[in-house]
Amino acid sequence: MIAAVATAVCGISVGLGTLALVRHSPGGSLAGSSTLGAAALLVTGWLAITVGLGTWRRHRGNRVGALLVAAGFAWFVTEWNNPGAGSAPVFTVGLLCYTVCPPLVVHAALSYPSGRLASRVETTAVAVAYVGSLGVLGLGVALVFEPGDQGCAQCAANLVAVTGNAGLVEALNRAGVWLGVVWTVVLAVLAGWRLARSTPAARHVRLPVLVPAVAYLGAGAATYVHALDRGFLSNDELDHDLWLVQAGALVLVALGLVADRVRARRARAAVARMVVELAEAPPPGGLRDALAGALGDPELEVAYPVIDGRYVDSRGLPISAEETAGRATTALVSDDETIAVVIHRSDLLGDRRLVEEAVSAARLAFENERLHAEASAQLAELRNSQERLVAASDAERRRLERDLHDGAQQRLVGLTLATRLMRTQLEREGSTNPARWVAAAEAELRQAVDDVRKLAAGLHPAVLSDYGLAAAVRALAETGTAPVRLVKATDERFSSAAETTAFLVVAEAAKIGPVSVTIAHRDTNLVVDVDAVGAPPRLVDLEDRVGVLGGTITIESTAAGIRIRAVIPCA
Amino acid sequence: MRVVVAADSMLIREGLARLLAEAGCEIVGTASNAAELLHHVAVANPDVAIVDIKMPPTFTDEGIAAAGEIRRRHPDVGVLVLSHHLESEYAMRLLTEVPERAGYLLKDRLVDVAVLVDALRRIVEGECVVDPTIVSRLVHRPRDLSPLDQLSEREREVLGLIAEGRSNQAISQRLFVSHKTVEAHVRQILLKLGLVESPDDHRRVLAVLTYLRANP
Repeated sequence: MIAAVATAVCGISVGLGTLALVRHSPGGSLAGSSTLGAAALLVTGWLAITVGLGTWRRHRGNRVGALLVAAGFAWFVTEWNNPGAGSAPVFTVGLLCYTVCPPLVVHAALSYPSGRLASRVETTAVAVAYVGSLGVLGLGVALVFEPGDQGCAQCAANLVAVTGNAGLVEALNRAGVWLGVVWTVVLAVLAGWRLARSTPAARHVRLPVLVPAVAYLGAGAATYVHALDRGFLSNDELDHDLWLVQAGALVLVALGLVADRVRARRARAAVARMVVELAEAPPPGGLRDALAGALGDPELEVAYPVIDGRYVDSRGLPISAEETAGRATTALVSDDETIAVVIHRSDLLGDRRLVEEAVSAARLAFENERLHAEASAQLAELRNSQERLVAASDAERRRLERDLHDGAQQRLVGLTLATRLMRTQLEREGSTNPARWVAAAEAELRQAVDDVRKLAAGLHPAVLSDYGLAAAVRALAETGTAPVRLVKATDERFSSAAETTAFLVVAEAAKIGPVSVTIAHRDTNLVVDVDAVGAPPRLVDLEDRVGVLGGTITIESTAAGIRIRAVIPCA
Repeated sequence: MRVVVAADSMLIREGLARLLAEAGCEIVGTASNAAELLHHVAVANPDVAIVDIKMPPTFTDEGIAAAGEIRRRHPDVGVLVLSHHLESEYAMRLLTEVPERAGYLLKDRLVDVAVLVDALRRIVEGECVVDPTIVSRLVHRPRDLSPLDQLSEREREVLGLIAEGRSNQAISQRLFVSHKTVEAHVRQILLKLGLVESPDDHRRVLAVLTYLRANP
């Protein structure tokens, strides 16, 4: 607190002192003698210092605030290399630091909001900017610049001058200006790139700071380009205008940071509202929406732990509670037990307190919704196990059908052949009596072949697994007792469970009387319509089967009779 | 008649070979899977190949695929597929793939050597053969009001024989009527059912089977 007050007091005095200097010697300044210049000078510097201090106090350890405070002071120091600066220390600091404001601003803007630069490229570019400003144009020139020897008789003394070398001064100034063109352009591009590559949520936060920072850099780049011919930075008409642009842009950078603070405050208010809303019984899933709204993260997810360490969402569907790139988690723990895990934008962690506030405010709602989720998950598990049972019983029937066809029937056919050969042999030998018995055995075997075929077909029609539902319904038309008319059908294949269930619906209806069948793939469903005449068949078993697959069977009356419709999900 | 026999079951394969040999056929090769079958057909140049519909590896309808492959590689070799499936779907798939000099018989027929040899002979002569049981199921399956009702008993009989793949000549011999009478019947039937008369007997088979399988 004391440090902040001291910094603020210091900022006020430095600002006023700089204004006095500018007024005393407007010809050597950028602000000049106009009121606009004076206002731009003070407002910009003070706003940067104030906002920087505020940011610094809220997020200790985050560099952005400190950098912005430094930029505010550097903004004033830009005016200190004024030949009219009477004091040698002020003039010397001015010589050393008059170009350091732009690197500080861009450093702060690029580091926002985490306080760190994102990549080695950014770090390098910022370092080059510091070297160009502080190293080349600042210290480099100051070391060899003797004001008295180089036509600035009224200048104060340069306390760090080692020697006076006009040639070296010019060369270093030229190098610094060239470097200035390069680093301003590179950093502007990097800032734009950073913005473009951000996730939508992060862009939302960075946009108000980075866009004015790019504008600021643009004005800086223009200043350097303008100085190329001349070989050093100065304060002509254009420089003055560009300086005003920089002032405006820097003000906007500072306001961008304030905008974020306003947003955070609004989020707190939203959390408070959410608590009130939640008190009035939230619907399942409403909690996620409420949190997403309160924290400003539309992709926010809530995961509830269920037995065996899995996580489910409020509808009981499996969900991952892992942290991934850009997504962080906050757990709500009560009595050493995790009640829920909120998966949210990782940059919300800058506002960790807000996240925790929101999560704990919603605690009761979380516990309530977790019970819901658990019940839903158990229901889903039950349905899965039923599905597995149906699939297993289908598979078993199919296996039996195969076994009968491939095993028993093949054997019987083989045996018939063997008896036929035996009979031929016996007849050839003239043993007609035994041959008659063999003929009888043959007849029995043929009957057995037929029986096995019927048995197998009753278990599971092979044509269904070989060629699909439409083919199986066509085959049913050849065996049934009543006409089966296939009005329209898709030859698409569906899951074995869906095909078998649909087939059983048709077969069951065809037992009663003539049917007309339509088979279609609509959206994600296999839809089978069976038009029949007469009383509706008993479909209880089939309703169970269809229900297990998540589908429905409906029976409605039509002009001609009834229509049975089975809708079976197949996606 | 030179015959190759392919069946997974040893008893069926060898029994069939033996029966056919006794009936005067020359067995030029036996195979237990599609690859062996294709090899024998290529080497022995048979008149006809008898193929079990179920063979390794999936034991579903490899026989039909093998029949198609034989037709592609050796267009002169006839194929007879043996099956346990009564459903016409399988026969249709075979005839769509191999529309002439092809046959589809139920395994129940195997012991009737005469029927089997007759089927082989017909195939070699260029006809199609469809098992009478399958045809009869198609002709007599339950229907709503149908153009089939307009056919006389005799016409239905002729229709069935057409669907079994018989030529007019064969039908006239079988029904003890003149060739001209059969031709008149056939024209009449096709007219009543709205089918176009085709010069090829095998196309006629497919058309009639398709008609019988469809909804009328």
